[in-house]
Amino acid sequence: MDALVSKYGGSDLDDLNILEEDEDEVTSSLPQSVSFILPPIDSPAKFLRAMTDDHTNPSAPIKLKHGTTTLAFKYQGGVIVCTDSRATQGSWIASQTVKKVIEINPYLLGTMAGGAADCQYWLTYLGMECRLHQLRHKRLISVAAASKILANLVYSYKGMGLSMGTMLTGVGHGGVFGLYYVDSDGNRVEGNLFCVGSGQTFAYGVLDRGYKWDLTDEEALELGRRSILAATHRDAYSGGYLNLYHIQKDGWVHHGFDDTNPVFWKQKLEKGEFQNVSTSLD
Amino acid sequence: MSNPFTLNGGACLAMAGKDCVAIACDLRLGQQALTLSNNFPKIFNYGDVFLGLTGLATDVQTMHSLFRYKVNLYRLREEREIEPETMANLVSSSLYERRFGPYFVSPVVAGINQRTGKPFICGFDSIGCIDFAKDFIVSGTASDQLFGVAEGLWEPDLEPEDLFETVSQTLLNSLDRDALAGWGAHVYIITKDKVTKRLLRTRQD
Amino acid sequence: MKNPTMDVLLGIRGKDFVLIGTSKAFLHGITVVKDTDDKTRALNDHTLLAFSGEAGDTIQFAEFIQANTQLYTMRHSSDLPVSSVASFVRTELASSLRSRHPYTVNMLIGGYDTKKEEPQLYWLDYLASSAEIPYAAHGYAQYYCLSILDAHYKKGMGVEEVAGLMKDCHEELKRRMPIDFKGLLVKIVDKDGIRELEGF
Repeated sequence: MDALVSKYGGSDLDDLNILEEDEDEVTSSLPQSVSFILPPIDSPAKFLRAMTDDHTNPSAPIKLKHGTTTLAFKYQGGVIVCTDSRATQGSWIASQTVKKVIEINPYLLGTMAGGAADCQYWLTYLGMECRLHQLRHKRLISVAAASKILANLVYSYKGMGLSMGTMLTGVGHGGVFGLYYVDSDGNRVEGNLFCVGSGQTFAYGVLDRGYKWDLTDEEALELGRRSILAATHRDAYSGGYLNLYHIQKDGWVHHGFDDTNPVFWKQKLEKGEFQNVSTSLD
Repeated sequence: MSNPFTLNGGACLAMAGKDCVAIACDLRLGQQALTLSNNFPKIFNYGDVFLGLTGLATDVQTMHSLFRYKVNLYRLREEREIEPETMANLVSSSLYERRFGPYFVSPVVAGINQRTGKPFICGFDSIGCIDFAKDFIVSGTASDQLFGVAEGLWEPDLEPEDLFETVSQTLLNSLDRDALAGWGAHVYIITKDKVTKRLLRTRQD
Repeated sequence: MKNPTMDVLLGIRGKDFVLIGTSKAFLHGITVVKDTDDKTRALNDHTLLAFSGEAGDTIQFAEFIQANTQLYTMRHSSDLPVSSVASFVRTELASSLRSRHPYTVNMLIGGYDTKKEEPQLYWLDYLASSAEIPYAAHGYAQYYCLSILDAHYKKGMGVEEVAGLMKDCHEELKRRMPIDFKGLLVKIVDKDGIRELEGF
């Protein structure tokens, strides 16, 4: 740690001429230190796809965890992030307690959809890069810059079988909120509202209808929670727990990891929603 | 092309106890990942005999109306209710009739023989091979899970109340590990002169 | 599963009526051939059939069903109730399923049962699976609208409220679907029969 500080931190910090946030500069910090061992065959990418792609080949020997609903939206009071917690391998529910929100640092969150390992690894790696940026420049990295690091990184592995659909969100230098959708195809899109995963359409349905910029904090948290609940009900590959975060000017706050089951029945029995579910024999 | 047995999702379980049998199913009707209905029971009764049907939903419905028709004719011809053993053979031969273009279902038969009072349960593959069992029968997308839990929980000569507990817990815990089945469940406890039907309130995700 | 179509079929059951909305675009490949299409047929005074699916199959099958229910009405001087129509449609589609040329048609059947004095809505897919449910959709519309209906549909809603829900679904589809389906044609079925609902 001290070594890093002495390497990257000047003594007269205030005199440092800090460049404005420049995305070109960010690309120069692509990883030199990470390398992966490739299988000793002609086309590792093709081999990997044959082994893991259960969409085109359901009997692929290596099953990756899939299926998700995640959402994030900006509003007047910051950013809301909410996810489910189910991991499935085919129709087998491998876990109901996955943490699909990755806490990169106290100011940045990444959501997880697609390959669980890919998301975990690269968002953790991104956390490292963000810390280095902070040490180099003596200030927080912007969400724009952080998302570009990630986007460039995964783009450099394009065609190798990485699978991620992530929303990178948080608060950067000067208390500016950022929300970006980044995926392994190389897309990087800025926006106010995203839903990602197999249950995205269900979440969009509820979220779009209830969304407005002037939401209060309570309303926004409830809308995030309700939208994921909608997706867990209709999408077989989403479920488990509702993982809820709120990002404010001074960083994110966790608002619980709650079982969907009691939330669902409360919603149904007290508010009369989910009329398609019967509660008694005819 | 997707597998017709797993397209709509669903699970069914039958267990034998002391002078009683139980049969239970989930209530989901799906189209792959999408849940369409939470009120699609897969257990039907024909007189005293109960039939559980999992697999392709259209075939579940077609077979139900087919057996309603056949058992009604049987009742008119014989002037008595059909016994579970007879029903098993009727199901088997009806399935084998479609040997080269099968119905994509995995049926389960459960009932008490009204003449001998003996519990009877059995299962089938989709072309009519009967699997007689003394303990339990499972079918549907959660069958792997059901096998595991039932092997652990079932014991011989359970009384009706204990059998209800065992069947319900087996089904519930299996459904919680299957993405394609669940969203409510029906449980029938059948003794020689009484049938109790219950709705289980399950997870809805 | 066959490709879900861009055609929209939406059905919502209210207190004493059913609302059925269908997209007005008639699509052929990437071309909108017509923007005033009606994807419904009246089977009798109180039963409406909405359909989507394989070109040709849809209208052939719908009009076959229409002709047969009308024949029933003529022969018996009374209408077949909604549940029986749904059962008839399912049986016909199921026997077609295992023939050499199965019909590929998804349907919603909405109607008002004049004997039981209650509205009913049936969902049927091209495999002839059927279910009686309070609200239903076909195609990509399912993925956007069912969650809205789960959240905002309440028991015993009136025409105004259900039409409002239909509009919410319409808005969401316009916002998120990649094509212009040229709006919805909405019809209501209640004790007085079948009418078009204005304002969509």
